Amino acid sequence: MAMRISLYESKKALTSPIILFLLVLFTVYNIFLIYNSSDFKKELHIANDIAKNYGLDITDESLLKLENDMQEDLSYLNEITSEKVGQTFTSSGEFFTNLRFEDQETYTEEQLNSFYDLYVKEMYLGTAKGIDDSYNKIDIATLGEDGIRSYGLTGSAADTLRKQFEVFEDRFEQMKANAEHKEWFFAGKMYFMHSLLFKSLFLSIILESIILIVLSTALITNYEFENRTQLVTFATKRGRRLMGDKLSASLIVSTFLSVFLLGSSLFIYFIVYDYSHLWGSSISSAFNWEYQFPYVSWWDMSLLTFLIWSIALFYACMLLFAGATFVISVLIKNSYFTFFVFAAIFAILFLLQGFMPKSSNLLFAAGFNLSSLALNPHQWFMASKGLLIFKYYEWITVLVWMVFITVFIILVIKHFKKREIV
Amino acid sequence: MLVIQDVSKNYGNFTALKDINLEFSAGVYGLLAPNGAGKTTLIKMLVTLISPSKGEILYNGTNITNFDEEYRDILGYLPQQFGYYKHYTPKKYLMYLAALKGIDKKVAHDRITELLKKVALSDVANKKMRKFSGGMIQRVGIAQALLNDPKILILDEPTAGLDPKERARFRQLLTELSRERLIIISTHIVSDIESIANEVVMIKNQELLYMDSVENICHTLEGSIYETSIANEELESFRKNHVLLSEKQERGSMLVRFVHKGSPEPEWTLKSPHLEDVFLFEYRDDLSLDV
Ligand SMILES: Nc1ncnc2c1ncn2[C@@H]1O[C@H](COP(=O)(O)OP(=O)(O)OP(=O)(O)O)[C@@H](O)[C@H]1O
Ligand SMILES: [Mg+2]
Repeated sequence: MAMRISLYESKKALTSPIILFLLVLFTVYNIFLIYNSSDFKKELHIANDIAKNYGLDITDESLLKLENDMQEDLSYLNEITSEKVGQTFTSSGEFFTNLRFEDQETYTEEQLNSFYDLYVKEMYLGTAKGIDDSYNKIDIATLGEDGIRSYGLTGSAADTLRKQFEVFEDRFEQMKANAEHKEWFFAGKMYFMHSLLFKSLFLSIILESIILIVLSTALITNYEFENRTQLVTFATKRGRRLMGDKLSASLIVSTFLSVFLLGSSLFIYFIVYDYSHLWGSSISSAFNWEYQFPYVSWWDMSLLTFLIWSIALFYACMLLFAGATFVISVLIKNSYFTFFVFAAIFAILFLLQGFMPKSSNLLFAAGFNLSSLALNPHQWFMASKGLLIFKYYEWITVLVWMVFITVFIILVIKHFKKREIV
Repeated sequence: MLVIQDVSKNYGNFTALKDINLEFSAGVYGLLAPNGAGKTTLIKMLVTLISPSKGEILYNGTNITNFDEEYRDILGYLPQQFGYYKHYTPKKYLMYLAALKGIDKKVAHDRITELLKKVALSDVANKKMRKFSGGMIQRVGIAQALLNDPKILILDEPTAGLDPKERARFRQLLTELSRERLIIISTHIVSDIESIANEVVMIKNQELLYMDSVENICHTLEGSIYETSIANEELESFRKNHVLLSEKQERGSMLVRFVHKGSPEPEWTLKSPHLEDVFLFEYRDDLSLDV
């Protein structure tokens, strides 16, 4: 019976025009987001090709093999160029630097494409050869001090961050020893694929899911009061236990909405962008380096593992947001106010760190909230994330808030059992 | 057996009901009182939507709050403002409520068909309720209250919004239902319950005034109800000296019905009291605006 009631309650949200409309709108937007970035990424397949032909691991051996094969490509290039313009080049890079616009006509589209492929390979090879140099230049301790200075930390806050950077340094050394960074991946500085997937797409989906989840949970929870049917429904046999069914329904609907949004987007994303030979590549790959610092995860994780954990974390956050909305809804009894109160709390939590004294560990404690967690999906499980640097940051945040929200849910359900329904 | 024991209800500082004691067994009970007397308050306590500030309500000796699901399982309730989902059909809404009442899907399906027929809504069973008239909605409400074939049926002003034909039909339905069942109907319309209630409960000044048969309640005004004809000009002065129950224009003069305790004038005709007379007499202060 409880299940049947939960399904009835779920239907109230899933047949709501506004929720369905937003779901479609958001899905279309996500698809647009995915395709919109695909034009500039024609040569993405090269990372796949390299991984396919030379293995995921970047070793001296595999580099040598790659270089030899590229030598052949270069001879092919020179064969054509010497025939057409009577010139030879030492690299495809050189060829393109000297290529004048009007000369492009000289070559077929196909030839230019193959030259460009070679050019991209040269770039990959160059980066791969430079990995050791670039990583040896990284000094985590200095990075920590820079952080302390730029955040203006003093006292115990400074000590804590310094200590965390020591832990980070250990992990960084271990990562290098494992050669996790010596695996092929899409060149971050060129394609920003990590950002595209885990920042643009994930963040959009997170915000969209939150909006849908808050709306539908508030709708389900307040439905009787807003339709003035509370006297009928809460006086039935099920009585106030209906509120518990509404909680299950909210979780069911939240699951459906978030799985739909994330599932459809990821499905299309991986159709548009081929990762077929890179699933096993480490998320800490040197190629996964987009800005000043490469992505370094706390654990040795492949892209696939990272993705799966991200999905799990996403889902956990969504359920927690549904639970939090449920609590607010029961207390406030009005969908619109629930939405605004949720938004206000969400924003305050996110900004909370900014209001904390720069000398106290409260500063770090304030970062352990669901808003900060949810708004940084590209940094999940990563060591380099400013004041949220802690190794178990994600786990602690989720666990603490799970306990919080569960306690609140139990309290409001108890409170509701005794509430006057008028 | 449903027992209300020393029940008071306060809303903040305001006392809506004070020290009410009542006992209901099978039969039809009319809860008759004017607006704001506390009928809905009493009923909401009976259906566990609100709880008494003092005292308790027992069903077969157990507090109804502790009885919980088991108690509400035998309860049918039509609130004064029957809420419904506008975009649902009666059938869909009743199926939902059947689930809340713990009725098996298949059983519910048949029961709903039967009930919709009983309240003459079969034709519109699959039409959205948005366009329903007040009377149609009220009949959906009645059907809903009967879904679980309740032992205790509590109806808060069930005839509001029904036209005279529907009212008559409704009284007939209640008589049918009243066997082996406890039915409590609140109303401020005397004719709704006069003919069908085994007992009438009246509340005055937050307290219980009467709980008795119509006959016995009428008896309290036995020998005090009179009618006489007076000239139109006399009406004002007559009203000052007597409790007027009704007045009727009659061939240039005025036929008045009133209460008088003590020795009558010779031209007055003694009448036997009706429930309406008691109602108007007892609530004359509350009703002065209406009369
Ligand atoms: N939730 C509430 N908060 C405060 N006062 C209330 C509340 N509900 C009812 N009252 C007051 O209690 C008194 C009794 O109200 P109640 O609705 O029980 O009367 P009623 O007999 O059902 O009237 P009606 O015939 O108009 O439905 C009224 O004075 C009303 O204003
Ligand atoms: Mg009322």
